[in-house]
Amino acid sequence: MSILLLVRLSKGAGFADAYSLLSRPFWPGSAQREWLDAAVDLEQLAKLKLLEDDNRRLRGLVGLQNNGEGDGQVSAAVISRTTRGWWQQMELGKGALQGLSAGDAVLGPGGLVGRIQSVTPATSRVKLLTAPGNEIGVWLPRTRNHGLLVGLGTSRPQLRFIEKDPQVRPGDIVSTSPASTMLPANVPVGVVQSVNERAVPAPHAVVQLIAAPEAIDWVQVRTR
Amino acid sequence: MVRLHRQPICVASALVVPILTLSNPAWLGVLGVGPAWAVLWLLPWALVDGPVSGGIAGVALGLLLDGLTLGGPSQVPALLLLGWWWGRLGRRAPPIQRSLNLGLLSWIGSVGLGLSLILQLWIQSGGTLDPWMRGWGLQTLWSQALITALLAPMLVSIQLLFWRRRAPG
Repeated sequence: MSILLLVRLSKGAGFADAYSLLSRPFWPGSAQREWLDAAVDLEQLAKLKLLEDDNRRLRGLVGLQNNGEGDGQVSAAVISRTTRGWWQQMELGKGALQGLSAGDAVLGPGGLVGRIQSVTPATSRVKLLTAPGNEIGVWLPRTRNHGLLVGLGTSRPQLRFIEKDPQVRPGDIVSTSPASTMLPANVPVGVVQSVNERAVPAPHAVVQLIAAPEAIDWVQVRTR
Repeated sequence: MVRLHRQPICVASALVVPILTLSNPAWLGVLGVGPAWAVLWLLPWALVDGPVSGGIAGVALGLLLDGLTLGGPSQVPALLLLGWWWGRLGRRAPPIQRSLNLGLLSWIGSVGLGLSLILQLWIQSGGTLDPWMRGWGLQTLWSQALITALLAPMLVSIQLLFWRRRAPG
């Protein structure tokens, strides 16, 4: 009787542990876990799709540029690239005939790579984010600050701030601005690698780009 | 025997320069920077064909390459001066053909080209260059000069051989 009472008070701890030990060989295997993961991924994709649809609808209401899959997206092969050297550019195998034009954003796996600078009927020339003199406005989602991403020729562009205290720290994600009309909104660009808070007149940071142009053979162009 | 610039096959060989510049083989470079193909073509051309032809070839090549790049700094001034200078050197006896001399001239040409680009960048940015950009510029300059000078004894010698046969001085 006292044993049963003990079992009752311990909420069947001994039995449950013993059952766990004995039934371990019959536990769901890794395949089942993968099914579960796949289901979670699917659920997240569905949620993402719904959010994107919602986002597109709201952006349409406030008159901002759309960011959805339905906008003109053209895949193009990289037929020439110079990621180091005096000019940092890529040539794409599609041009004006496919609807591309100067100013279109070029995306690689991971995020923004650059913008089209000029087009011919069959090719486009992309100015990479790292190219000297290249400047685009970016956004830090965590601090909700704007900055200017400036290419200096090096593989990591510089992020310049307007505020004296932008409260940025290494690891922060850098994306295109949600209010941008020049570039697709909320596209990941890079990650803040280091911050120089003593820089004059305002702090600046070094950004590691997410999409590495050295390794990209195909890109997506968001036409405007 | 007619001069090089009157032989269409020799003039057409200049098209190799933009093709090589666009293809930019990644394995042929120092720190990802490829050689100055324009320098490697222009040096033997100017040595064989003289200063006027060298200068004109430099301008033509510079304009062609400027059309293939993003804009900003131009290669025309440096290539014009290099073509003219190498053309004058080619008029002197004995003819320049030793590997070391060709490598050295290519190295000087590549450094000159790089310095002219840095100078233009400096002027465009209002007389100041960001330290990071300065470091990138110098690294690109030295990397390109090194790989250009290493390739010159092979490539420039072969071109000199062919072109001197077609247009003996």
